[in-house]
Amino acid sequence: MQDEVFNELADLALKGAGTSIPKSKAYLIEARLAPIARREGFGSMEDLVHCVKSRANPAFIAEIAAALVSKDTRFFRERETLQRVLEDVLPARLKASNTGRLKIWFAGGSTGQEAYSLSILLEDELPAALRGAKVEILSTDICKVSTEKARVARYGHYDIQKGLSIHRLTKHFTRLETGQWEASEALRGHVSFRQHNLLESAAGLGKFDVIICRNVLSGMARSARASVVDNLASQLMPGGLILLGQGEGLIGLTEKLEPARDFRGAWVAAGTANAAASAA
Amino acid sequence: MKTCLIVDDSRVVRKVAARIIQDLKFDVREAGDGAEALRACRDSMPDAILLDWNMPVMNGLDFLRALRREDGGKKPLVVFCSIENDAEHINEAIRSGADEFIMKPFDADILESKFAEVGLI
Repeated sequence: MQDEVFNELADLALKGAGTSIPKSKAYLIEARLAPIARREGFGSMEDLVHCVKSRANPAFIAEIAAALVSKDTRFFRERETLQRVLEDVLPARLKASNTGRLKIWFAGGSTGQEAYSLSILLEDELPAALRGAKVEILSTDICKVSTEKARVARYGHYDIQKGLSIHRLTKHFTRLETGQWEASEALRGHVSFRQHNLLESAAGLGKFDVIICRNVLSGMARSARASVVDNLASQLMPGGLILLGQGEGLIGLTEKLEPARDFRGAWVAAGTANAAASAA
Repeated sequence: MKTCLIVDDSRVVRKVAARIIQDLKFDVREAGDGAEALRACRDSMPDAILLDWNMPVMNGLDFLRALRREDGGKKPLVVFCSIENDAEHINEAIRSGADEFIMKPFDADILESKFAEVGLI
């Protein structure tokens, strides 16, 4: 890929989605944009860039930026964290609230596997302390295609086998004639999906008890990470917490959040580290 | 080092699976059908078995039932690995004593995920 073409597309990814793509990973651009290039009939990335510059269509540019974001996900990724959310965090949050309602946001949830994993745990292992509670899971992603795939809840041969035991697969999914596996109505009932760019304000999504944003920030430029973290922090309910992926930290990035005292990888509003939610 | 017996009548599948499983730090042995696998197990019971369904001489299901009838000793974890991937076949494999099920074709990620699922890694 020519430098000029790489620079145009890397810049587009940075401005549109906050994604940082180093030159050494130029192959990611070709791989991630291949479906769009095929659909539009572009013979090369040069053609695609030429079209972007000449048409200047904001929707098309946004679609390209979204397509350049990593879609890597799987069922039950970092399952200990999900287990802890179910067994410790949510009961503590429920106890602290008087609404009987719990809201969880998977920010950058790609094609929905993580949200459905929590939904599976709610079906299979609901703690007594959560009985009767209304647990609402929202998963958002910048990519329209990923969001739609998550909403449809149909997974192919490879995706369905990564992270999901055969017992849970046969219990919660039905094999369709197409060979895809479709999530049960019960699983889908806990989860809703929306397309959302984390660089933009999330005020319209409401406030959340738990925000799970894993392996999203690590693919972003520092400036983008700071504004995403600010946006996430603004959507935390008092006493709520944010969970990041393993090895993802916020030190030096924001003053709005601080590490939760007893939950490694979790962050709470600054000055509240000893609050009920983190006491889990 | 843990041991894994790969049971499949396809040399290609055995070779591909062996490479992946060796990368997971297993000592790998191979068998081309259920009868050969049963002899190998009686000789030395492995920690894990990756098991195909359709094979000559003795198929995977008959092997598994025979294996689970064997008296005492170590009970290996059995991961079925088959092209027969409808719910009926999967349930039959589980009822017969399989611990996990991989739907063919598979890749290294799937195999690793399934081995992790049953606590092999």
